[in-house]
Amino acid sequence: MKSPAGESTSTLGRWARLHSNELGLLAAILAVIAVTTIFSDAYREKPWQNAQEILRQTSLLGVFALGAAIVIISGGIDLSSGSVIAFSGAICATIMLALAPLDASGAPDTSQLGVGILATAIAGTLLVGFLVGTLHAWLITVVGLPPFVATLASLVGLRSLARVMVQEVTTALTPTGRTTQIYIYDETFNALGTRWWIPLVIFLVLSFVCWILLSRTVVGRHLYAMGGNEAAARLSGIRTDHLKWLAYCLGAMTSSIAGILYMAEVGTAYPAVQGLGYELNAIAAAVVGGCSLQGGVGLISGTMLGVVFLRVVIDAVAKLVKVGADEYQGIIVGVLVVLAVAFNELRRAGGGLSKQFFPGALGILAIGILSLLAGTLTTMMFGRNPGWTVFVGTLIVLTGRRLAEGAAVRRRQQADGPWS
Amino acid sequence: MLFGREAIRAAALWAIAPLCAVLLAGCGTSDSNPSAASSGTKRVILLTNGADPFWDAMRVGMQDAERDFKLADAGLETTMEVNDGTPKGQIDRLRQFANQTDIAAVAVSVTDSNNPAIARAMEACQQAGIRVIAIDSDVDRKNNRKARFAYLGTDNVIGGQELGKAAAGIRPEGGEYATFVGLKGAANAIERIDGFATGAGDKFKQVENLGDDMDLSTALKNVKDALDRHPELDVLVGIWAYNAHAIVDVVSQRGIRDKTTVVVFDAAPKAIEDLTAGKIDAMVVQNPYDMGYRGTRLMKALVEGDHATIHELFPKYDPQKKEFTEPDGDILTTGLRVVHPDEGTPLKKEMFAESTEFLSLGAFKKWLAEHNLTGS
Repeated sequence: MKSPAGESTSTLGRWARLHSNELGLLAAILAVIAVTTIFSDAYREKPWQNAQEILRQTSLLGVFALGAAIVIISGGIDLSSGSVIAFSGAICATIMLALAPLDASGAPDTSQLGVGILATAIAGTLLVGFLVGTLHAWLITVVGLPPFVATLASLVGLRSLARVMVQEVTTALTPTGRTTQIYIYDETFNALGTRWWIPLVIFLVLSFVCWILLSRTVVGRHLYAMGGNEAAARLSGIRTDHLKWLAYCLGAMTSSIAGILYMAEVGTAYPAVQGLGYELNAIAAAVVGGCSLQGGVGLISGTMLGVVFLRVVIDAVAKLVKVGADEYQGIIVGVLVVLAVAFNELRRAGGGLSKQFFPGALGILAIGILSLLAGTLTTMMFGRNPGWTVFVGTLIVLTGRRLAEGAAVRRRQQADGPWS
Repeated sequence: MLFGREAIRAAALWAIAPLCAVLLAGCGTSDSNPSAASSGTKRVILLTNGADPFWDAMRVGMQDAERDFKLADAGLETTMEVNDGTPKGQIDRLRQFANQTDIAAVAVSVTDSNNPAIARAMEACQQAGIRVIAIDSDVDRKNNRKARFAYLGTDNVIGGQELGKAAAGIRPEGGEYATFVGLKGAANAIERIDGFATGAGDKFKQVENLGDDMDLSTALKNVKDALDRHPELDVLVGIWAYNAHAIVDVVSQRGIRDKTTVVVFDAAPKAIEDLTAGKIDAMVVQNPYDMGYRGTRLMKALVEGDHATIHELFPKYDPQKKEFTEPDGDILTTGLRVVHPDEGTPLKKEMFAESTEFLSLGAFKKWLAEHNLTGS
């Protein structure tokens, strides 16, 4: 008979096993912060300022990473986030410019717009986000396009449309004529993106809503079911088309909210460059947070931690690398995404040596490529000798893993017997 | 075990990769000084508006100034941060600077002079105790002058005028022209283009002004599109350094060199080759080396509170009152040069402002070699 204490430990253990990825992320976040604090004065001398900035950046990314996570959990993919951000910023600025009072020279004055205009612009932008999501759902469920293609079309098309729109709008509404940007000088609006707590509150509220939706409603359960096996979900009576509509609308609308916040932050709608490549950051955050690109797996809490983790690592690199920190960010985010997917695969297979990462000739080549990559990166950072050391070290470690995997496979075959 | 083996394994896996990356990056960059924060060395940073060989010359100027003015003795070192060409990229970097402790001064080439958020981020740096100057491209002086201590760079209006005069000297009969630039909102772009119109005079008519958002492929496409839309176009004007070679490429491809006048800003390495090959008629060249050199000297003086040096650089700065005595006293104009082919140019020194150097390509190349530069 188990004691109550034993039961409680067992419950906690089960919870910990279920949330091993989130706990791992949490510990890693604390570890990265600790190391950065040790090696950089900035965290010790300006802790509050740095915390505010990380939270602000995390929230801006987190808002649309939530939408990306829901789409991924539902078994889809949304590549259009960056372009929806640019498009939404342009729509929001266009509405503001159109409704702005005119100054003495007859030009729209965007420095004092008033609550009414701001609310109209934000509502209009969210409506456009809903329409973009609806278009995606129609292309996927009715026309039959794969989600990758449907959202790829938006990725390319919406940015282009926004660029043309801004030029046409400035030609029509401003005395200075055609420009590629719309400036919004209203300080209340700008505060939406620059005051650190406003994006944070929006992110937390959205996270709570998404968490309720996914974890506490039937619709949420159906989204997981559809992501795990769409055909089975459909056969069991779930209206998958409606669920996809919901998922893509949430994806597009969260991107629209992010578009408003990013535009407020820089005070400019500049669709040529705004949000460029951001869709990959959102997908990376969701994947690092434990979402499986095959669908049906992932948590809002994991996505939130994934976003925090990415931003903390990016900030740590910026603090510790004195020159060209952003050049290292790509490498680090890339490595983390690969690690996340590999770790999830390993976990799904049962951990340890249960997953073979280096089988056959492909595995041997992969060991060579990874060792070469590690050696090259180290050479660029440290010089030739450390590069060689890391190359040889990686080669030995990965070859060891390959040999251990092979031995584990043989053991399993022997245990299964000759007739299995 | 409270959290189970899997959770611990996950924590270890997640922690190891970024920590290795962070530590490697932090300890290994050769161009940086990873121990700067701990050893007390502070950085004097040039924040560019984008990536271009133009900045290489400025970096050389900064390094020479670092040596000549003994920045190491003052606990300072120079570094360059290359922006991605976007206002947000520049804002993010400035916000990052404000939250760091090892930055003494920043020289910013403002990506978009009209963008209030860039000016706010510059002000945030100042509030964090960082000395901020604008270099090469200024803030909107009417609204955001206080975002920087001073501006140091080319007088872009005069630069544009000189380029316009060069076009008028080469093609006295006038013509239709198109201007090509990276970011149309950048202050230097607006001023150069306006200056060009004034310098070229009434016989020239602008038919296009195309921005490429610092995308080289778009820069090429813009030239092609302009020629397609306006077959009568006979003067092509490169406003930013890389626009020169994009123009030359398209003109060569289409075989219209004999009927087209090509005048450009800046002497990018490729543009120098193009001028040597007779594919460019004239260049107005800034002096980024001098901007980097004097900018570094100014930043060191600001960090040390050396008001005499500031006064030396800015004669309208009163070292007693610690303020500028004239409205535009906070602008330090670096020199301009008109570079022309060694032979066969109709251009003459007297066509240009007295302060502008008039150099043959050979003389210009000699100057570059003396400073170990490939472009300017």
